[in-house]
Amino acid sequence: MFDVQTLLILIPVLPLAAALATAALGTRLLRGRSHVPVVTAIALSFVASILLVFQLQERIDERAAQPGSSRAAGVEEVVARWSWINVPDAMPHPVDGRAETPGWGNFNIEVSLRADPLTAVMLAMVTCISMLVAIYSIGYMRGDPGYWRFFAYVGLFVFSMTMLVSASNFLLLYVFWELVGLCSYLLIGFWYERPAAAAAGKKAFLVNRIGDVGFVLGIFLIWTTFGTLDFGGVFQSVGQHAGDWRVTAICLLLLLGACGKSAQFPLHVWLPDAMEGPTPVSALIHAATMVTAGVYMIARCTPLFAAAPDAQYAVALIGGITALLGAVIAITQTDLKRILAYSTISHLGYMFVALGTGTLLGITAGMFHLITHAFFKALLFLGAGSVMHAAGGVIDIRRLGGLRRRLPVTYWTFLAGCLSIVGVVPLAGFWSKDAILLSLHDRSGLFGGGLFEILYLTTLLGVVLIDFYMFRPLFLVFHGQEKIPPEAGDHLHESPGSMTAPLVVLAFGSVVVGAYFEWTHGFAHFLSFTPSFECLAQSGHAAIDTADKWRVATIGSVLTAIGIAAAAMLYLGSGKAVARLARAMNVFGLYSLSYGKFFFDPIYNVLVVWPLLSVARLAAWFDCMAIDSLVDRCGRIPKLAGAALRPAQNGLVQFYALAMVFGVLVLLGIMLM
Amino acid sequence: MNFDQLLQNVVGDTIGPGGSLWAFRPEMTLCATIIAVLLAKIILPGWKSSAYYITLAGLLAACFFAFPWSWQQGDMPAAKTIFTGMLIADSFTVVVRGLLLGFAVLFTTFTQMTGVWDRDDQAEFFVLMLGSLVGMCLMISANHILVVMLGVEMASVPCYVLAGMKRNQPVSSEAALKYAVFGAGAAGVMLFGLSLLAGVLGSAQLPTMTARLIQIIHQGVSPDQTLVLSLGGLMLMVGVAFKLSAVPFHFWAPDVFEGATAEVAAFISVASKAAALGLLVRLVAVFSMPSGLTFPEGISLPPDQLAAVADLGAVRQYIVAIVSLLAAVTCTFGNLAAYGQTNMKRLLAYSTIAHAGYMMMPVAAAAALVGSDVLGAREAVAALVIYIAIYLFMNLAAFAIVAFLRNATGSEEIADYAGLARRSPGLAVCMAIVMFSLVGLPPLAGFPAKMTVFLALIDAKLWALLFVGALNTLLSLFYYLRVVKVMVISPEPLHREAPTIPLTSMVGSYCALLTVPVVALFFLFGGVLYWARAAAHTLFN
Repeated sequence: MFDVQTLLILIPVLPLAAALATAALGTRLLRGRSHVPVVTAIALSFVASILLVFQLQERIDERAAQPGSSRAAGVEEVVARWSWINVPDAMPHPVDGRAETPGWGNFNIEVSLRADPLTAVMLAMVTCISMLVAIYSIGYMRGDPGYWRFFAYVGLFVFSMTMLVSASNFLLLYVFWELVGLCSYLLIGFWYERPAAAAAGKKAFLVNRIGDVGFVLGIFLIWTTFGTLDFGGVFQSVGQHAGDWRVTAICLLLLLGACGKSAQFPLHVWLPDAMEGPTPVSALIHAATMVTAGVYMIARCTPLFAAAPDAQYAVALIGGITALLGAVIAITQTDLKRILAYSTISHLGYMFVALGTGTLLGITAGMFHLITHAFFKALLFLGAGSVMHAAGGVIDIRRLGGLRRRLPVTYWTFLAGCLSIVGVVPLAGFWSKDAILLSLHDRSGLFGGGLFEILYLTTLLGVVLIDFYMFRPLFLVFHGQEKIPPEAGDHLHESPGSMTAPLVVLAFGSVVVGAYFEWTHGFAHFLSFTPSFECLAQSGHAAIDTADKWRVATIGSVLTAIGIAAAAMLYLGSGKAVARLARAMNVFGLYSLSYGKFFFDPIYNVLVVWPLLSVARLAAWFDCMAIDSLVDRCGRIPKLAGAALRPAQNGLVQFYALAMVFGVLVLLGIMLM
Repeated sequence: MNFDQLLQNVVGDTIGPGGSLWAFRPEMTLCATIIAVLLAKIILPGWKSSAYYITLAGLLAACFFAFPWSWQQGDMPAAKTIFTGMLIADSFTVVVRGLLLGFAVLFTTFTQMTGVWDRDDQAEFFVLMLGSLVGMCLMISANHILVVMLGVEMASVPCYVLAGMKRNQPVSSEAALKYAVFGAGAAGVMLFGLSLLAGVLGSAQLPTMTARLIQIIHQGVSPDQTLVLSLGGLMLMVGVAFKLSAVPFHFWAPDVFEGATAEVAAFISVASKAAALGLLVRLVAVFSMPSGLTFPEGISLPPDQLAAVADLGAVRQYIVAIVSLLAAVTCTFGNLAAYGQTNMKRLLAYSTIAHAGYMMMPVAAAAALVGSDVLGAREAVAALVIYIAIYLFMNLAAFAIVAFLRNATGSEEIADYAGLARRSPGLAVCMAIVMFSLVGLPPLAGFPAKMTVFLALIDAKLWALLFVGALNTLLSLFYYLRVVKVMVISPEPLHREAPTIPLTSMVGSYCALLTVPVVALFFLFGGVLYWARAAAHTLFN
C-alpha cells in the first residue's frame, strides 16, 4: 500500500484536503479547533515523507549492491497522473531547422510527480518544519479572529510547496512556484487591516513578479531550445547544446527567478518587510521552506548550469554579494525579526555560493546547509515569536533585556539555535558551514579559481560577522539588566507547551542533525543518487585531502571562537565600546550604510517605483480625461438615435401600414436602381 | 398513362414503403395530437391537465419520428421531393424540424409551469400552438408556392389568436388585432407577389419556376419582365420579412410582444423566426441555383449546367442585395430602438428584431457564395442553423425568466428587477448568462453562433455587412448589460422586494436547465457544428 506512487500523491493531497475542509467548515463548525485537520494532515504527510525516504534508501542500497552498475545512474520514479495540456505539433521546426531535437513539436504537459533523493529530502524537511510550526501556531495564533483562515492558508501552502518540490516539469514547477508566492502574499498580509502588513504583502508580491518574469522567460526559452518542458527530457538533451548561448541565457533567466523567490541581491528587499506577517509564517515560509525554493530550483537544474559555467559564476557571485550584504546589514538592525530576516538572506547567499561551485561537493554542501538552516532558522524565528508573545508584541531588542530567567525554555533553545547558526563544533551549523567552506576551498584551486578564492575569504569574513549579529540580540534580549516593555504588562511568562515543545524539538534537531548526517555520510550518499546530479558524478574528481579538511575546519572554528569572544566583550560590557566601534566604522560611512540597509529601498523608490507610478498616474489621467469622455460621447450617439427612432412605434396601425407600403416602394426603388 | 396507372403511381408514391407519408410522420403525429387534445377535452372533462400531457406525449412522439435515426449509421439520404413535388424532404427539413419540435417540447413544459392559462383555455392554447407548428413544418419544407402560402398562413393565424388569448386584457386584444391586420396585409402583398411570379414563369412549383427563369434569362429578358419579376420577388420577400419582423415590416412586433403574454412572445420570437428563416433559405436555395431534382412536368434544364448557373447570377445579386439590405437595416434598427426601453418584453422584442437581422446575414452570404463556392454556401447555411439552435435556448430562457418573474411580482418592468441578485442569486446569474450570451461574449454559446455567422460573411466577402454586424454587436452590449446592471447593482426599491426564487425550486431548476446549454454549447460546439453541417449538406444540389 505504501509504495512510492501512493506516498507521492498522499503527501500533497492530505494538506490540500485539510485546507479545503478548514476553509469550508472553519467559520461554523471548527472555529477554535481549526488547527485539527491541518496539523493532523501535515503530520501524516511528514510520516509519508519519511516512508518515502526509506523507500528510496532501499532502492539506492539495491543499486549500490549490484556489482556492475555505475554510481552515476540516479534513482527516480516519475508518476504521471494525467495529461494537462496536449497540443500535437504545437510548433514547427526551429528557425535554424534542427529536426533531430527529441520530443519536438508536441506541447505535452503532464501532471507528473517525481520521487528522487533531492525531492525526498526537500519533502521531509518541508513537512517536518511545517508540522512543528503548525503545532507552534496553535498556541501563537490562539484567539486570533482569523484563526481558521491562518490554518487554511498554511494547509494550502504546504500543498503548494510539496507539489513544487515534487513537480516533474518546468510548467508545473512554475504553477506551484506562483502558488507558494500567493500563499506567502496571503500570509504576509494576514493582518491586512494593518497598513504596514498590506504594503509588505504587496511589495513581496511585486518584487517576486520581477523574478517570475525571468523564470517564465526562461521556461519559454527552454521550450524553444529543447522542445520539451519535462525535466528528464531537458536534462538529457542538454549535452547536445553544450556551449550554446541559449543555455547560458536560460540559466541566467532561471537565476533571476531564483533571486526573486530566495531574496537574493538585488531582489532581496521584500524579505525583511515580509516579517510583518505572523511569526510562525516568517519561520515557515520566509526562513525554512519557500525561500529555499530558488536554491532547490537551481540544484534541480544542475545539468543546465553545468553546461553554462558563466551562469554558475553568476550564481556564486550573486550568492557571495548577498551573503556579505545580509550579514553587514544584520549587525545594526534593532528589530529582532529583521535581524533574522537579513541573516536568512545571508545564509541563502551561502547556499547560492555553494551551488555556484558546480561540483557535487558544493551542491551537496548547499543542500546540506539548506536542511540544517531550516532547523536552526525556524528555531530562532519561533524563539523570537515566543519572546514577542511574552513581551506583548514588542520585538525591538533595545527595549528588552535580561529575559533569561523569565523565559528559560525560550532562552536555552534560542541559545542552541545561535550556537548552531554561528557554527560551533559539533552543532549542525558547523558541519554544513564547514562543507561549504570545504567546497569553496576545493574549487579555488581550479580554473576560475580567482573568484572562488575571493568567495572563500568572503565566507570566512561572514563567519566572523555572523557571531556579531547573532550574539548581539541574544545578549541584549536575554542577558544584562532586566528590561520589560510596558506592553507586556506585569504577567510576562513563558509560552504555553504547544509553543515550547516545537522549540525543544527544533533545538534538538539543530544540535544533532548535522553531526548525524556528517558521520553517517548518509546525506551526501543519498543525495548523490539524484538524476539531476548524474552529470557531476562523471566529472567528479579525487577525494578531498584529509589535511585540507582539518585545516578548513580549524580555521572556521578559530574564527568563530574569536568572533564570539569579541561579541561577548562588546555586547555584554557597557554600551560605550559599541558606540565607539560604530563611530569608528562610520568614518568609512559603513555604519550608516548598514543601518540604512544600504539604502536599497529609497534607491528603488527613486529609480523604479516613482517613474512607474508617474507613468501610471499619467495613463490614468489620460484614460479618465481623454478616453473615457470620448467613450461617453460615443455612447450617447446610439441612445439619441434610439430616441429618434422610437416615436415611429406610435401604436397606430394606419401608420404601420403606411410605413410598410412606403418601405416596399423604397425597396423597389433601390432594387430597380 | 391511363387514370388507373396514375392512381397506382400516386398511391405507391404516397403510402408505399419509403413513400411521402413515411417522411411526413412527425407532421401527422402533430395533427393526430391536435385531434386527441380536442377529443380529450370532450371525453375526459375530469382530467385536469389532459391537454398538457397529451401535447407533450404527441410532441415527444413527433420528435421520435423526426429524429434521423438512420444517420447514425452514416446513411444520410439525398434530398427528395414528396407528395408529387409539393414538399422537399432533405436533411435541412429534418434538422430544422427537429429544432422546432425540441423547442415545442421545452415550450410546452414552460407554459405548464407558468400556469398562465387556466384549465379551460389550456386545450385551445395547445391546439393552436400545434397547428402553428404544423404550418411551420410546411414552411421549412415548401417546394411549391401554394405550400409557401399555406405554411405561412397556417403558422401565422394561430399566432394572432394566441396573442389575444388573454381575453380580459384590452392591451392583449389590441395587440392581437394589430398583428392580424398587419399579417393580413403582408399576406396579401405576398400572395400578389407569388401570383406575379407564377404568371411570368408559368408554374407554381419552385424548381420548375427556376428552370423557366433560366430559360427566360437565357433568351434575353425584356424590361417589362424584369420589372414584374423584381416586383414579384420583392413582394414575396415582404411576406417573409413580415414573419421575420424585418424592418420596415416589424412594427407589429414590439406591440404584440408587449401585449401578448411572455409565453406567446417566446413562441413567436423563436419558433416563428426559425420557420421564417427556414422558408427564406428554401426560397434562396431554389432561386439561386438550378435544382438537380427531377421535374414532374418534364421540363429539363438547359443542357449546359455551368451556363445555367451563370444565368442565375443576376437573380443571386438581387437576392444578396435585398437580403443584406434588410439584414443591415433590421439589425441596426432593432439595436438602436432597444435603447431606453423600460419594459423587458419590449426590450426582448427589439432584441428579437436585431437577431433576425443577424440571422439574415448568413442567408445573404449563402446567396453570394453559391455561384462560385457551393461548399462555402453550405457553411453559411450551417452558420444560420447554429445560430437558430443557440438562439432557441437563449431566447426561451430569457422569456421563461421574464414569465416566472411576472408570476412572482406581476411586473415586467426592468426597474422592478432591482435587487434580484441578492434575493434570487441563481435566477439572476441565469439571466446574466443569457444576456451575455445574447451579446455574444465568450465563453457562452452566443459567441460561436455570432462567430460562424461573421466567418460566413468574411467568406462571402460581404465586408459592409460584416462591419454592420460587428458594430451592432457592440451596440447591443449596452442595453443587454443594463438589465444585468439593474439586477446586480441597482439598489432594491423600498416599497417592494425582489422575488425570492431559489434555483432548487421547480421554476428555478427549469431556468437553470435552459441556461446550461447556453454555457455548454460553447464547449460542445463540435456537436452543434455536426448537426448544422448535416442540415446544410443536401442544399444547393
